[in-house]
Amino acid sequence: MPAPTNELKLLPRNATAVRQTMLVTGNPVSTRLEAGVGNCFPGLECDLRNLERRFFPFLTVDVLDDQDVVVVSVDLAGAQSAGLSPALVGAYETIAADQTTRGVLWHIDSITSSFPPFPQPTIRLRDLGAGTDRPSDAWTALRLIPENADITLVLVRSPGRRSGGPARVQLSGRRLPYLDANGALAAMFEPGELTQSLCSPWTHDFRDCGCFYWASNHPDIALPAASLSVPAELDVPTPWERAARGAGAIPPSATSDGPPNVEMDHYEINRRWQELDFVVEGRERATPYAEAEVAGRPLADDAQLELHLQYAAGVELAVIHLYLAALFSLQARAGAPASVSSDVAVAEAELRRITFGEMRHLRAVNDVIRGLHRTTRFIPALRVASHLPPIGGKLPRAVRPDRLTREVLQTFIDIEQPSVSVDGLYARILATLPALGPRAHLHERIRSIMADGADHFRTFRFIQEWLAPHEPAQYLRTLNPGPPTKADGAAFQIYSKIGTTYLTMLRALRDAYAVGLPAGAPEINAARVGMLEELEPLCLRLVAAGFLVRFETTDPDFASIDPPSDP
Amino acid sequence: VGAEVLGPAHDDAAAPLWRLFESRLGHHLLVVPYTRLFDVPADAAAALRRGDASAVSAIEAGLEPVPGEVPLDVLPDVGPQSISLNVSNVCNLSCGYCFAGRGRFGGAQASTMTWSIARAAVDRLLDVASRSNPVTIGFIGGEPFTNRALLGRVVEYAAARGAALRQDVRFSVTTNGTLLGPDDVSLLRAYPFAVTVSVDGERAQHDGQRPSASGTSSFDEVCRSVGPLLADPGRSRVAARATVARPHLELRRRFKGIAAIGFQEIGFAPVRTPLGSPLALVADDWPHYLAESIALARDEVTRAVGGEQIRFSNLAIALKQLHRGASSPYPCGAGGGYFSIASDGTWYACHRAIGQDSYALGDSSGLDDQRRRAFQAARHVHAHAPCRSCWARYLCSGGCHQEAASRSIASCDFVRGWLDFCLTTYCELTSVRPDYFADSPRARP
Repeated sequence: MPAPTNELKLLPRNATAVRQTMLVTGNPVSTRLEAGVGNCFPGLECDLRNLERRFFPFLTVDVLDDQDVVVVSVDLAGAQSAGLSPALVGAYETIAADQTTRGVLWHIDSITSSFPPFPQPTIRLRDLGAGTDRPSDAWTALRLIPENADITLVLVRSPGRRSGGPARVQLSGRRLPYLDANGALAAMFEPGELTQSLCSPWTHDFRDCGCFYWASNHPDIALPAASLSVPAELDVPTPWERAARGAGAIPPSATSDGPPNVEMDHYEINRRWQELDFVVEGRERATPYAEAEVAGRPLADDAQLELHLQYAAGVELAVIHLYLAALFSLQARAGAPASVSSDVAVAEAELRRITFGEMRHLRAVNDVIRGLHRTTRFIPALRVASHLPPIGGKLPRAVRPDRLTREVLQTFIDIEQPSVSVDGLYARILATLPALGPRAHLHERIRSIMADGADHFRTFRFIQEWLAPHEPAQYLRTLNPGPPTKADGAAFQIYSKIGTTYLTMLRALRDAYAVGLPAGAPEINAARVGMLEELEPLCLRLVAAGFLVRFETTDPDFASIDPPSDP
Repeated sequence: VGAEVLGPAHDDAAAPLWRLFESRLGHHLLVVPYTRLFDVPADAAAALRRGDASAVSAIEAGLEPVPGEVPLDVLPDVGPQSISLNVSNVCNLSCGYCFAGRGRFGGAQASTMTWSIARAAVDRLLDVASRSNPVTIGFIGGEPFTNRALLGRVVEYAAARGAALRQDVRFSVTTNGTLLGPDDVSLLRAYPFAVTVSVDGERAQHDGQRPSASGTSSFDEVCRSVGPLLADPGRSRVAARATVARPHLELRRRFKGIAAIGFQEIGFAPVRTPLGSPLALVADDWPHYLAESIALARDEVTRAVGGEQIRFSNLAIALKQLHRGASSPYPCGAGGGYFSIASDGTWYACHRAIGQDSYALGDSSGLDDQRRRAFQAARHVHAHAPCRSCWARYLCSGGCHQEAASRSIASCDFVRGWLDFCLTTYCELTSVRPDYFADSPRARP
């Protein structure tokens, strides 16, 4: 069979075609709302509080503060045509009549509904925050009301304002759902509604906000724009809001020890916000974005593609082994300076984050393999690679878990380096999967793995920088490479238990990957819980007993896999 | 519409996986599984027509569902989500083409439905239905409003139980529209009802096909009885359904007559069964019927281009379905999400099959899962030799199970011709009126 082409230009016209072929270029998958990370780095995709703006039929409200929710608009036509009782329609009309009266606001006084796990059926907003037996604030209260629950609201007109009509009304209705029947965000939310309260670059709070309270294409730090043509050694993350910009300005490094006061001040950000660049794929863009070509020699056919994907899954599993062995080898020596503890803590956190990323990659690669199997069931790829892809013309490297020594850290950097090793393996897979057409989503999946790889590469270089000032003896445990034998007593028992727990996890993952998400979610969850609640404590006990962490199984279903020969 | 080019197959060697067609905008591609529609540049279309291996493989490389899509080659595992209740076994009209024999189904439905049978069915539905999707309770017969006491009681009961369970309960009724009084109209306005009124055309056409037992004009009765509901539908949604019987196949005159009553949604269905009936369309009729359908559709497309809604619901629904990329191996929910309850309490897979043993799959105490799976397996479009290799297999899905015996090359050519027209029209209309396909602006509680 000839290699698939990506030269066939297909422009999707209907919904299912768009679903299969279109992802907005440059945006990582994580910028989809359902995958967003809420109020955390890398930034908000939306202000989640706005999801409650339409919690009640025919009303739009704003949560002003912890005890105050006000009506901002009434869909009177909707209320009048919904077959409601005349009294209820009259209540809506009362509020609507004030909408055009300047300075008059209707506030929610009390809500009667259910607020699990809190037992009270009725809460008065002004009483919130006063005790642990009720929701802490108005937003939380609204969020706790289950969809479709009956709600009775008592609303009051702004105190002291008289514009005729009653000053107090009662409304009854059902808590509206967030999603429509197809699982999409309900059509009642209008474009821009969910992001409207995010910080904007032309406001002071954008300059001050310490919690990354702006949209994800405005991160705190970013790589400088390629058009600045900075030397390679200066091509490192820089403060995005730096004042010195443009050609000739050397972007300052954004490491924790970076120079102070490089960012625009309040007045400047008001005046110069439009100079801030958009950030796509972690890099400032001073010119229109164009997706970078990935150079990779396409594989010969689908059979070769699948072989390479199975090996890629094995490589992901292998680096998980390596990174976890390294992670559990870290421990600030007792009595070491405080700077060692803090640098080790951040190195541990980043290494853990990278390892979790590799676990997601393992699932992603299996999703791609399953995507190649149109009708037949596939056997998930969960065999650990015997060797890693070669680096720089050398032979493939055998997988040997070790402590996070300086040499080992350098190999991690090499493994994750763009265009070589693992990235080179994925480049060939990517080149084989067309970017458009029915396999486009598989192409995107591989691209996102590669984008993560670039992040891992940068992060390992940071870890190198953080640990460089310290002697390895100050942050590395002394460990026997093992594996423990029966003669090692307790350590052998822990090692054996790690093996059986690991095998149980692999089997759960095999069952899960075979069916994919969402059907496989219970098994994936079981594996995750097993990892965090059983495997991690065992690993800590093994290193405490003086042995390097290893995950080994003799089950032939999970025997190691060798690199495929070059097709 | 351009020349039909069929791609090669992967499972069934005769089953096309894709199809090229043309509109005024240029070339388009339908990828058959999951109904994906693309615009194709002329060179790419030419490459596909030539059978250029790399072009073909680019399409055939991925025919699998993307996350969230239900595979087309599996039996769906859905529970009952909607039922119809045969609340009445009598009717005040005597239409020649009635599949229900005025509600008696040739004697299979000898009695009218009782409250205990209806309640048991509603209870069962509400017990097993998914809470995350609405349930629909339909009323059918016979003429449902000859048993309005039961209909009203069921509506109030189901609405109250639904409210207690936090289940969205909706209703539907298929009526001849001649018996609605003020109280009936109030009931229909007060609840989320999909009301389908059988009305076949202008006065003479209608009265000819739908004579009343009393000899009065049933058309006049429909106008009198349904008029107030059309003027103020409340929470209901009112549509007309017209049956087209031989020898009168013209549609535009029928359409005009129905629209004059005030209907904004008007759908047509030709008589296909029973075979040999003088009213059922024969092979020579289908090209004529297609031409009639397309002529009427063109009128409505012109309206749509001018900013108005399409009232011809066969067209409006087809366009919306193409926009969604709807594709299914089943033409309806029979035996899956939908059941029709006979007056004796038996759950049939279809309201047209009352009394047919092979469609009886259980009762309100439970369904026979084995029979149900067998019923579904036998009716999957892949199980039907002529259908499984048709390019329209996931759009037509083989058509009504009850009309399968009437399927002919001519009638299937009508379906394919109609879908061809709809595909072309969809592509053109999305370009000139993309807003037509936007979702309704505001969700209503």
